[in-house]
Amino acid sequence: MVTSRTPFAPLALGALAVALMAAAGAQLTGPPLAARLAARAEQAIAAVGGAPVEARFTSANGWPSRHPTLAGGDTLGEGTRDRVAKAVAALPGVGGIRWADGRAFSQSAEAAVQPLHCQEDVEALLRARTLRFEEGSARIDAASGELVDEVARALRPCLGSIIAITGHTDASGPEVGNLELSRARADAVLQALVRRGIPADGLRARGVGSREPVDGLEATDPANRRIEFSVVATQPIRPTPVDLPGPR
Amino acid sequence: MPIWMELLVLMLVAYAAGLAIGWAMWGRGATRRDAND
Repeated sequence: MVTSRTPFAPLALGALAVALMAAAGAQLTGPPLAARLAARAEQAIAAVGGAPVEARFTSANGWPSRHPTLAGGDTLGEGTRDRVAKAVAALPGVGGIRWADGRAFSQSAEAAVQPLHCQEDVEALLRARTLRFEEGSARIDAASGELVDEVARALRPCLGSIIAITGHTDASGPEVGNLELSRARADAVLQALVRRGIPADGLRARGVGSREPVDGLEATDPANRRIEFSVVATQPIRPTPVDLPGPR
Repeated sequence: MPIWMELLVLMLVAYAAGLAIGWAMWGRGATRRDAND
């Protein structure tokens, strides 16, 4: 005979007891925890020179919270606001922070640059045409020289960024050979770009063989043989004094 | 998120986990025994 039924009432009572315990626990520990965090945050803010900034460890409804809202310091530079936000966020026990003016983090002190457009330019170039290599070799086809010129021109606005060159092959032939070939081809493109005046220290070449085929293509499709460019890190270019317009 | 809500979520999760473990260890066996009776 089946006698067991789900004991809803005891389960609900248990949940209620847990909720009451949570409320009581929060009542006891919440305010001192928030006060402790606020004191630590005040020290951290003072240490990075953001004194007018206040870290409020309360939620929108005024409950104690581990997620502070930073207010004040409107006159501070973006760099200082950035340091303040990071210093408070790094304190143990502090959850995510936000500024009272609505931003998750202060903007970086670095000049705002949008270097990704050069990646799009290069992609647009390579969408229409393909960098070709001699069969089974890492030598760039003579006819593709002009395309490399154009790629180098398109990458020029991104100078100062780290540009990754990734070589891909299709899955025909042994993978070890494919990997080597893709690496050698990426390297050949890197060298070709260096010869066209792109500094080598901003370029990274790697080969992934046939591991990352084009979306929607079979790994064996020859269209997977390609070179991809991506801007993996951005460093805004600071104008040298020579570039600055000045009185003559 | 206020501290009371974090605590409530954590404790309810712990309660549910405890129930699930308890049911897995004892509840299933009891149901099977009842069914055999």
